[in-house]
Amino acid sequence: MKQKKIGIINRAATYGNTQGREALDLTLALSAFNESLSVFFINDGVYQLLINQHPEHILQKNFSPLFKMLSLYEVNNIYVCAEALRQRNLHVSDLLIDVCILDKAQLIQKLAEQNQLLSF
Amino acid sequence: MHKIKIAILVSGPPYGKQGASSAYQFCLAALQTGHEIVGVFFYQNGVLNSSYLLSPASDEVNLFKLWQTLALQYKFPLEVCVSAALRRGIVDSIEARLLALPHFNLEKPFVLSGLGQLAELSAKADRLVQFL
Repeated sequence: MKQKKIGIINRAATYGNTQGREALDLTLALSAFNESLSVFFINDGVYQLLINQHPEHILQKNFSPLFKMLSLYEVNNIYVCAEALRQRNLHVSDLLIDVCILDKAQLIQKLAEQNQLLSF
Repeated sequence: MHKIKIAILVSGPPYGKQGASSAYQFCLAALQTGHEIVGVFFYQNGVLNSSYLLSPASDEVNLFKLWQTLALQYKFPLEVCVSAALRRGIVDSIEARLLALPHFNLEKPFVLSGLGQLAELSAKADRLVQFL
């Protein structure tokens, strides 16, 4: 049977809640069973990918190094919303992993290609 | 009618947000119209649905009991992500023993399991529906 395409959508900023961390845990776990994962970062979700995070000052663990595991686990379809970056004055050079930047139309297209979507 | 296999992901808590109640009602409606629930996976704050210590006021709905009854009646699994559960104080008797905790608050038909089970449910189902 053909593997289902699963899209994981990150909408929330890194800290303040555990959405990002739990979405990443889920992504890494699913990658062992499914090779057709795509990860999306839209809205405040793009903040998750910033380099130089120091959440220990707010009693949180810095999980951002775990994003580097995505490529080790062969999760290579990582899509970031161009508009979300622009609105927050962020640039590709601010991000800690290689990503594919998509405009709104391309994002909609990619999302439509997925069989299942999970939102965080 | 074409019978659909549905997997459910519950990410929301039993109290304070509507998602888990909607998930239950969705399951009930799907089952009553002849569809199949292949399983419910509880993740993030959704794991809180599985604590048998939940004690809502007597004139309020006890969602925990509703899940329990429905799962037993229609024989589908209630899987609870173990790492999300332990972080939120949800433990079964085995974990309680391993962690030397004096109590546990999860038992059948809820079971602790890993995210691999979610992958399995996702593969098995025609539809995966998430409730926040």
